Amino acid sequence: MSNIMTIQLTLNGRKQSVTVDVKTKLIDILRQLGCYSVKMGCSEGACGSCAVNLNGRVVNSCLTYAVQADGGIVDTVESVGSLDNPHPIQAALVEEGAVQCGYCMPGMIMAAKALFDINPTPTDEEMAIHLDGQLCRCTGYEKIQTALRKVAAAGKGGVA
Amino acid sequence: MKLSGYHRPTTLDEAKRILKELGPSGLPMAGATSHSFLKGDEEKVAVDLAWMGYDRIDHGPDSFTIGANTRIADLQSYHAPGWVLDRVALRFVSQPIRNMTTIGGNIARVFPWNDFPVALLALGAVMTITGQDVQTHTADVYFKGQPARLYEPGDLLVEIKVPAVKSGCGFAYHKENVVNMDFSLLTLAAWIRLDKRTVADIRIAAGAGVPLPCRLPGLENALAGVAISTDAIKQAIASTLDSVKWKGGDGFSDDYIRALAQAHLEDVIIDAWQMAKGGAT
Repeated sequence: MSNIMTIQLTLNGRKQSVTVDVKTKLIDILRQLGCYSVKMGCSEGACGSCAVNLNGRVVNSCLTYAVQADGGIVDTVESVGSLDNPHPIQAALVEEGAVQCGYCMPGMIMAAKALFDINPTPTDEEMAIHLDGQLCRCTGYEKIQTALRKVAAAGKGGVA
Repeated sequence: MKLSGYHRPTTLDEAKRILKELGPSGLPMAGATSHSFLKGDEEKVAVDLAWMGYDRIDHGPDSFTIGANTRIADLQSYHAPGWVLDRVALRFVSQPIRNMTTIGGNIARVFPWNDFPVALLALGAVMTITGQDVQTHTADVYFKGQPARLYEPGDLLVEIKVPAVKSGCGFAYHKENVVNMDFSLLTLAAWIRLDKRTVADIRIAAGAGVPLPCRLPGLENALAGVAISTDAIKQAIASTLDSVKWKGGDGFSDDYIRALAQAHLEDVIIDAWQMAKGGAT
């Protein structure tokens, strides 16, 4: 039996075919494909800097084998908004000054987007639950929370 | 552990056949979140169970049947009368991990800090393993030691049946850790059935602060048949606390965990009691 497999995935809306060793983690493939927003932090699923959305759910790409994403839809922050047309989550984070070093932000935005996509008006408690896998060592979370509260109040989180 | 191969069975029979052929080198793979913690150079061939179904919750008249491949996030978002595992799921690590991990993965190999064994012991769950034959085991038997002892190559956990918590009954789950993503220092679960103010039946289980998740029979016996009150609970805990070998770790002493258990046992039993009498939990 071969330890090499070819997998298909839809990465940021574009179909990709990648040949991988079965022990390769999803994060390594994503970075190989140019998604440098996906950051390696703790490599054990504790910090959330590698978080991406797999089939609409936020997962730690450092723990996910690439083969587990075969046939799936993978979204990274590269697919969310742009400098000229930021997603409401990104716009609110900038407006509130919630971004400092920025290392956690791609994961933070993807986790928030996974929540807002299914629930555009989450409560504070729901936000705390759904973002509990994302660590930020700069902000103390206050401004991130304020920004996301603003998005929830506007009910625009699910709008791309 | 090194992954040297990967299979993706789409049916239970195919999964059983592959695992049987692979023997000890086969590794049933659920969410794979624990693979980072499997040390050593042993080569394993993963058999990914995520593609074969057994990933839903069915609501029967008195119980819930949970497919072993059901994600913790799905236990978290499920709601029905008598369903209480959402409370346990909510305390489980973090949302990304809840999205990846399955209940089967959490109970097929038991670490002291695993969340669900403790809850399933208190709730009186029943596990179904299928291989050449179908085996059903109560949580008491299943968690008596490492569940691996019950599995032959080719055997798989397929279902967990959890009784609904009915009127007059209550359940509570408490977990103590330094931060959410740390391993637990102590986990406790209590299920109680009241006959007016008397404890008609009670099951209490502990994890993390003990060598492996277990029931606390001394405390259960001290409370069974007793008119429940905060004083009765305190007294029962005080008289039975030292019948359990509390175990520290990660810089926390055995005595610290014992003190933690004393406080949390009272809280978890009171919370279950409040639910049983219809109060807020």
